[in-house]
Amino acid sequence: MDKSISCQKKFICFVERIKNINYEPKKIFKTIWNLLIYFLLIDFTFVFIFPFIYIITNALKSPYELVDMSTRWIVKNPILDNFRDAIVTLNYWNCLRNTLIITLLSALGQVLSCSFVAYGLARYKFPGHKLIFGIVIFSLIIPPEVLVIPLYLQYSKMKLLDTFLPIIVPCFFGMGLRGGLFIFIFRQFYKGIPRELEEAARIDGYNGIRIFFNIILPISKSPILVTSILSIVWHWNDIFEPMVYMTTPDKVVLSMALNSIMKNRAYLFVTASGEIVSPLAMAGSLLIILPLLIIYFIVQKQFMAGIERSGLTN
Amino acid sequence: MKRKFSLEKKMEMEGFIFVLPWIIGFIAFLAYPFAFSIVLAFSKVTDLSKLNLKFVGFSNFTRAFTVDVKFVPALLETVRDTLINLPLIIVYSLFIAILLNRRMKGRDFFRLMFFLPVLIGTGLIMKQLMGLYLDEDLLKSIGAADTEVRKAAGAIDLPNELLVYLGPELGQFVQQALDRLSFILWRSGIQIIIFLGGLQSIPDSLYESAYCDGATAWESFWKITLPLMTPTILVNIIYTLIDWFTSVDNKIMEYITEQSFKQLDLAYGSAIGWIFFIFITLLIGIVFLIIGRYTVYIGER
Repeated sequence: MDKSISCQKKFICFVERIKNINYEPKKIFKTIWNLLIYFLLIDFTFVFIFPFIYIITNALKSPYELVDMSTRWIVKNPILDNFRDAIVTLNYWNCLRNTLIITLLSALGQVLSCSFVAYGLARYKFPGHKLIFGIVIFSLIIPPEVLVIPLYLQYSKMKLLDTFLPIIVPCFFGMGLRGGLFIFIFRQFYKGIPRELEEAARIDGYNGIRIFFNIILPISKSPILVTSILSIVWHWNDIFEPMVYMTTPDKVVLSMALNSIMKNRAYLFVTASGEIVSPLAMAGSLLIILPLLIIYFIVQKQFMAGIERSGLTN
Repeated sequence: MKRKFSLEKKMEMEGFIFVLPWIIGFIAFLAYPFAFSIVLAFSKVTDLSKLNLKFVGFSNFTRAFTVDVKFVPALLETVRDTLINLPLIIVYSLFIAILLNRRMKGRDFFRLMFFLPVLIGTGLIMKQLMGLYLDEDLLKSIGAADTEVRKAAGAIDLPNELLVYLGPELGQFVQQALDRLSFILWRSGIQIIIFLGGLQSIPDSLYESAYCDGATAWESFWKITLPLMTPTILVNIIYTLIDWFTSVDNKIMEYITEQSFKQLDLAYGSAIGWIFFIFITLLIGIVFLIIGRYTVYIGER
């Protein structure tokens, strides 16, 4: 009895609400418009997710299921053999250690040096500061191939080949992978900070370098986050520099190891639908991006906010 | 207290200290190799181990255009690809940025997705995701016939029925266009971010006053958004050009790497590297001049 009354009430409320909805054509148009936009966005999102689904399913398939016509997306008996094999073939833990050393040290170097230099470019007017900024921007369009040959010769003379130094050291001097872009990002950020903070500190007798480390660096969290993420990602995925400077198998980084798996035809399979896949390479690439994805999902909120606020624009 | 320098001088010195690391880096890792590669480009390596050089003038450069049959096609292909993709990337990323700039449910999710390529969209993983690692030599080596080969995960696939209906030539063309499209989607993460920042810098008051004057959303897009976005568009065009030209996996870059590190012809490698570099610089300069004329800044008028 009680229940039916409440049901009735709910129904009446519902009818009332439907009656109250405005059936203006403009509003209907707007709803359709919104739906269309969602449809489009989901469509585009699919383009980004689809390869992941493809790779995950193929990495989980056993050889039998790869040639089985009836299995396309949902793997009946997922196996982890491919991942186990990939860890062995990639020499995963060794490569991961190498990659981590290079990536983290380079990112640290780039964040420190680029922010330091950018502060000088943003706040001080000394002779040649415009020229230096011009060169910083110009250095972005120099193809790495032009520079790498002389550097390679130089490092081989100094017996620095096969160490991580050729990749890490330039990062501590504001160079390295797209160092110019990071200087640019930091400079835009510092230009936007009001000067009052520094002037107050200067009256208290701080010099520029103390101001930078004690005041400016603590408040520039968002560009630091953005540049360190970008730097980590770009170094993580970079294959060109390690390929040039590293020669012994001991010093191989993840991207190089994956490349050799991808180029090895022994690992290729022809699936039932005539596609050529390499389950081992797929498992391997999942293993390689996994650390990046984890970092991304942890910091994505701050990263997004930072990247919109920081100086990529203007 | 004695003061050696005036305050102005002191500030200059401080600024100099800040830039000092960069100057050291510039000399060691940029200026020196830059100059050395010019020397290399004009010479011939007579002894690789001792690096004995012989000055040969422009012969490396003339070789690139007259003797080498692979260089010019690779250069043209890179340029063609870039020039076709550039407008598509700009329009697409502006469009997505405008959609993502609206207030709506699930915006954070979509942003997360659209920035995903920024993180993994560089380098090998993307090649793996797009199935581009299956280069022709590899396919030939396993004896795969062209017809049965589909690129691994090339994101957007035409259904077979449609391919039959369109016929082989048109079908292949549409398929190539789709492949290009998914490639573009994967390469435009940073551009979307730059546009989003640009959109947020346009003051709301402009739209409000336009709305009061009776402008529709369509009109205010063409009359407010687009003109005020021109500086951002310029930045984006330049960024895209640089990104495509200097990415390691385009045709010409692969060719330069092959010449200098596989064939070990360092002099010739640097010569073609220099031709390419001068070419990029000219192209970017031209773009800058043409588009720079149409840009509008908020302060002007």
